[in-house]
Parts: sequence; C-alpha cells; structure tokens
Amino acid sequence: MARITPTPGQKILYLLCIFLGVGILFIDYKTDNLNKIRHTYNSLVITTSYILKNYTIDLLRENFNRSKTKKALIKENESLKKALDVSYLNNYLISRENNFYKDKNVLKHPFEHNSFTNYSVAELKNLDPNVFNCCDKHRMYIEVISDIKQAAKESVVFSSSGIIGQVSNEGKYLEVILLTDISHSVPVKSLSDKFFCNGRGSGKADIIICSYNPLVWKEEILSNEIFYTSGMGGVFPKDIKIGNAINISDISPTRKDIEIKLSANPLDNNLFGVLLDQ
Amino acid sequence: MSKFIKNIIALIFLNYIELSFVGLMSKFSIILPLTFLGYSLYVYRSNTNTSPIAAFLVGLFVDLIQGSYFGLNATLFCVITYLIQSYSNKFKIFSYLQICLFFGLSAAGYVGFTQLVLNLYNFSYLTLIISTVFNIVFCFGVAIFSSYFPKIFRLEK
Repeated sequence: MARITPTPGQKILYLLCIFLGVGILFIDYKTDNLNKIRHTYNSLVITTSYILKNYTIDLLRENFNRSKTKKALIKENESLKKALDVSYLNNYLISRENNFYKDKNVLKHPFEHNSFTNYSVAELKNLDPNVFNCCDKHRMYIEVISDIKQAAKESVVFSSSGIIGQVSNEGKYLEVILLTDISHSVPVKSLSDKFFCNGRGSGKADIIICSYNPLVWKEEILSNEIFYTSGMGGVFPKDIKIGNAINISDISPTRKDIEIKLSANPLDNNLFGVLLDQ
Repeated sequence: MSKFIKNIIALIFLNYIELSFVGLMSKFSIILPLTFLGYSLYVYRSNTNTSPIAAFLVGLFVDLIQGSYFGLNATLFCVITYLIQSYSNKFKIFSYLQICLFFGLSAAGYVGFTQLVLNLYNFSYLTLIISTVFNIVFCFGVAIFSSYFPKIFRLEK
C-alpha cells in the first residue's frame, strides 16, 4: 500500500506538535515545574524494580542459599560426627583403663598432625545385624579412611568401647572376624592373673564362651567378674578389658562354661581403629 | 492494544540497551541513539502513516524514560516522522546506501541537537563527527543484516 505524504492539514499538526514540544522543552529547561513528573517516574521505577527483585530474584536466591546452607550443614554435621567418633577411639586408646598406651607403649605418637601413626581409622561398610544376632558367622567389612592404609591380616580392630575382632581378609575392604564368631577365640584371663582360658565365639551377639576344667583351674569365678586379654596368642595386646562374666554353668565334672558379655558391640559404632604395629 | 504495548516494550528495551552501552561508547566519543534509530526504522518500515500526535507522545515517553528534558525527544521524533513520511515514496527509488546515509545523518542531527540542549558547555565536534560516521556505518550494518535476515525486521500488517 502506498503511503501518502503529509497533507497541508497534517503539516500544520506537525508544526503545532513541534512548537508544543519546543515550548515544553523551554519550560522544562528554564523552570523546575516538570521535575515532579520525572521524580515520580523515577521513584516508581525504583519501587517496581525493588519489589520485583524482592519477590523474584531475592526469593530464588534465598531458597538456593537455604538449600546450599542445609547441604553444607549436613556435610559439616557428618564430618563432625566422624571427628567425634575418632576422638572416642583416641580416648579409648589413651584412657588409663586399658593397657594400649600406658604399659605396652603401643601408641608412641597417638596424635601427629591429625594422623595416627599406630592405627588406622576405618569406616564400617557392611555388617548384617540379622546375621549378627542370629547366626554363627559374625563378619563385618570396613574400609580404611585415614592416610595410613597398610592394615595387615590379623590386626586388632577396636571401637571406642573395646576390642571388636581382628582382620581376617584384606582387599578393597577389610574383612573383620568378630570375637563372637564361632570360629574365633581370644585368650582371656581374670584380673588376678591366676585363671586363663580361651574365649570362643558363641554365635550370639555380645557373648563369648570360656570353657575350662575346674580340676585344673582352682580359682573360683564369680558372676560379674571382669575378664581381660591375656596376650598369649600374640595378636591381642595384654590386659585389655574384654567383658564381664554373666553366667557360669557346670556342663560336666571336668568342664565349666563361663558366658562373658563383651564390653564392645560393633553395632554401636561406625568408625573403628585398626592397630598397625604391636 | 497488544501492538501498542509491544512497541512500548520495544522502546524501553532499546532505551535500556542504549543506556547500557553509553558509558562504554562515550570512551570512544561515540553516541549511538538506538531508541531514535529504532523509532525511525519503525516509522520507515510501517505501512501506515504515523500521526504527529503519536510521534509527539512517543517522544514524551522517551523523554520520561531517558530522563532528558521534556519536549526534546518529542520535537525530534515529530521532525523525523515528518521527514520520513515526506520521503516515504521517494525512498522506494533510493538505494540502500542513500537510505543508510539518510538515517545515519538523521541520527547525527539528533546527536547534535541533543548535545546542544543537554551538553552545551562541553559540546564536542569530535564526538559529533565520530558519531556521524559510526551511525552511518551502523545503519549499513543493519541494512546488510536485514537483507540476510529479512524476517527479523518485517513488521506485522
């Protein structure tokens, strides 16, 4: 469609608009009468952008930061939990109740730049609680997470409350045979050092059974008596508390069984220590 | 109504781009009146005549969003609308080069006039000359771009 050039009437209108524009320009240039409109517009723009920003970008940013903070908090919580568990392990090692540190000098430098020279920190990877509570084979799998990774077969595995078992197989994860496994036995002794026996796994959670001949061992064992490792097998350090006698039964004139309730339960912890050098 | 809102949004957008780049370009003594050129292109490409009152009101609106003196853009928009409509049929026999020269020089005139009003004590001929050359080159660029991508610059009937 062809466009028509401005007619004389339109030209007059153009002229009027141009004069009006020049007039407004002159008034605005010389006076401040129109500043109010400009300021109102500016305040409107600022208010609108502020409201929009407040309800869109800031809201999104706030939600994003909140989720980020939540994730960071969860992560921090996990790392703190881990640090706490490690400190429990350390406390267990350096406490005066056991012999790791005090007498045997097993841990020469327990803390050195946050790395442990004599034991590795390991994390629980797999332990079936149903099997642990019912069956004969009590094994768990752990992964060494500290810098020192060399954990030999038969190394002692302990938690913050006591000895758990020993390493039975190496690999990506370490297989740990627990004290309660029926194929495992740990040499124990009484506090008086006049009674020794082998505590073999009962297949029940927290219980090991110590069988002995009362004709050979004259010492009377009472209920609740505390048992310690004797160190005779050469694997477990001497004089570490194992647990308390909870039941003593006469099987035959030549055999008595003592049920010892272990002081450490593998289900209570996620972090364990693996002794490297004894 | 939707067309009117679209045009207003387009003007605000062009004004936003112009204000975003004004600091960068002023370092090179260049002023690119993108809003003015956008409006001129719209009037040029439009199939119908734009009324002088519409041009005046659009100019006032641009004055408002640019924060310049009221009446400055209103007057210049009226003038450019009148010029484009006067030459609307002659443009058909013009080459791209001539049309680009027309719009580039119009933009230079706009720059000169606005500088006279807004920046009289620091008026610079260097800025005016560089801006003129830049505006002409910019119009060439737009013309070449529109010949390769004609759909972008096609207006709705």
